[in-house]
Amino acid sequence: MSEALASWAVEAEDEGVLGQCRSAEALYYDGRYDEALALARTAFAAAGESEAVADFCGWLFSNCGRHGEAAAAYEALLRCRPGWAAGHRHASGSYAAIGETERALFHALRAYALRPADCGIACHATELLLRSDRLEEAAEIARRTANGHPGNEVAFRLLSEAEMRLGDEAGALAAIDRALALAGGKVEYQLHRGHLLCRLGRWDEAIESFGEALSIEPANVAAQRALLSALLDSGRVEEALAYGGALIHAAPDSEEIGQALLETLNRRFATLDGDYIVLGERRLKPLRPPRPLPRWSDGLGTQARVVLALVIREARTRFAEAKLGYGWALLEPILHILMLSLVFAVLMRGQPPIGREFFIFYYTGIIPYHMFVHTSSNLAYAISGSAALLQLPLVTTLDLVIARGLVEFVTDALVAVILLVGLSAFGLHARPHDLFGIGAALIASWLLGCGCGIVNAVVNRFVKSWDKIWVQLARVLYFTSGIFYVPAMMPDRIRDILVWNPVLQAVEWFRSSFFEGYDPHWLDRSYLAGLALLAVLLGLGLERRLRPRLFEPS
Amino acid sequence: MIALEGVSKSYRTRTSRQVVLDDASALFPTGHNFGILGANGSGKSTLVRLLAGTEMPDRGVIRRDARVSFPLGFGGTFHAALSGRENVAFVARLYDADRRAAIRYVEDFAELGDYFRMPVNTYSAGMRARLAFATCLAIDFDIYLIDEVTEIGDHRFRKKCAEAFRARMQHSEIILVTHNPQTIRQYCDRGAVLARGEIRLYDDIGAALAAYQRMLGSEAA
Repeated sequence: MSEALASWAVEAEDEGVLGQCRSAEALYYDGRYDEALALARTAFAAAGESEAVADFCGWLFSNCGRHGEAAAAYEALLRCRPGWAAGHRHASGSYAAIGETERALFHALRAYALRPADCGIACHATELLLRSDRLEEAAEIARRTANGHPGNEVAFRLLSEAEMRLGDEAGALAAIDRALALAGGKVEYQLHRGHLLCRLGRWDEAIESFGEALSIEPANVAAQRALLSALLDSGRVEEALAYGGALIHAAPDSEEIGQALLETLNRRFATLDGDYIVLGERRLKPLRPPRPLPRWSDGLGTQARVVLALVIREARTRFAEAKLGYGWALLEPILHILMLSLVFAVLMRGQPPIGREFFIFYYTGIIPYHMFVHTSSNLAYAISGSAALLQLPLVTTLDLVIARGLVEFVTDALVAVILLVGLSAFGLHARPHDLFGIGAALIASWLLGCGCGIVNAVVNRFVKSWDKIWVQLARVLYFTSGIFYVPAMMPDRIRDILVWNPVLQAVEWFRSSFFEGYDPHWLDRSYLAGLALLAVLLGLGLERRLRPRLFEPS
Repeated sequence: MIALEGVSKSYRTRTSRQVVLDDASALFPTGHNFGILGANGSGKSTLVRLLAGTEMPDRGVIRRDARVSFPLGFGGTFHAALSGRENVAFVARLYDADRRAAIRYVEDFAELGDYFRMPVNTYSAGMRARLAFATCLAIDFDIYLIDEVTEIGDHRFRKKCAEAFRARMQHSEIILVTHNPQTIRQYCDRGAVLARGEIRLYDDIGAALAAYQRMLGSEAA
């Protein structure tokens, strides 16, 4: 038995009532609350004015959650012990618990008046003042308490609340910061601070505070909602939606979070112009893996593929307009050689300048010349003729030029071989003494043709009648390149000028490789090779420099 | 993803210089279908060609980490003397796609019959359009560029196109230019408005359309 009961036993006037109290206490500790309450009620009804009984009943009622009855008991007790601060505090707590704020406040203020230095009583009174919207008084008491108890975080928390509601956000913020400095681990404090910062428009700090609260208690729904709205209100819509999505994903059954997210979305829609519609097709797609950045070798592979595709296309369409198709590629040089042979055989009475047969001599002139002229002329249209292909970003002007150049080379080289085979089939002495040299001469001639062709392609774009001028130039070259004569037949003065002609050099190179013992001193292979490379570089440079203007809509 | 970084582009018209983009930066992220809005003559088609890589910017860089198509239905690459089949083979070869599969797909889709093996210059305009559409779909692009949806074929064929396209959109994105807000809403979830050399992206197609309408309104006033 407790000492309290023993003392009541002495003081009690009615042994019976006190016995009931004793039994009620025993029942209470036994967990038989209903029986304990029933006994206590009987005791209180019988001897409520007894200090001991009232004290006991107040204790029992409030411990059993019967705050209304507890309040009555405390009132009775206070009649016996007026001016008892703790009694007022108990009574105030009981009234507050049943929502009788006014009565609660009355007792709280009495308690505070009796013991203003008690921090617990002061805080309780402040809270009730705040609840009753008596903000000035609340702030006053809170401030005094905080000053008096600088180590009590509750006082600062209440002060912050009072000042916030009085409109002094800066003061409120200072107070809550003090409170947090004393007790940083309180979720509610972090939330309060976050909301204050939201009011001040300091979104990032607010979001930080909410984040802090969540790091203390990750499942705190209030904190989650607060963070969601702060993200949304601060304009970080994407983040808000992502966060909301993550929340709903983590707790798909939580009605509260669902509600919050719905609010978020509704607010988002409200900010859009009213005619927003949701489409079934607009679901999130699985992200495809990003393509690896192409390496230079990939680029090279792509270019090779593109050029190959273009070569096949060019080859299929090269002679598409002519009925004879590829036959024309063969026929042209044959007719040319035949004509020259007939004319000059008569003029020269049966003896070409080199070798024994006119056919072979003209062949050695026509083949390198054609290689140059065909390449340079056809490349001139390589870009403009396939301009539509440039609509495919994969295809560049350079690809077009390379593809057509390759087609020209293969065509003319094939023609050269077929003609040579044909000529020897007719029993002519058509065996070149240096095959490698012939190939080199053809390549040099082709390269020169490529260079001039690319330049032509670019110039064509800017000079309207350039293609006609080029035809005239090609004709001049026909006469100055030693196709149907050799430079040795020319006077030295004229020859010294002619040998600057690179096409003549190509023809001479070809012939010196074809005919054994023909090695003119004016032949300069490196001059031709250098000039060919220079022409190619010039052409490519011009193309690169003027590429944006090549296909500007005009 | 297609990213524009400080891109400027202008071209000459007969009388003046038309500015399409002036130091514009924008990011078309993966996973979204974009509708591009802009007044007549603001340079939408030029923008599409820039995105495709068909045209080069005067200044700035355009980065792509995806295979971007040529504008859907573009048949300019067809060589008149080659057959439909050869033309498809050419495009497939260019883009390193499976040639046989592409040819089979187009033969099946474009409904050209025997014409598929005949030169394109014997085709009617409708046949060319069908061939062009099917060829673009036959290649597996990550991003399809569409400059004005042109309606081709009869009602049944149009439906077939729409279905095929929807299937393709399951794993590819589109960037679409059209005057029809209905079409944009149907296909796009984000929008971009091109005006006065600036490109502005919107997270939401509704917002883009509204902004575009406001812009038109303020210009008319």
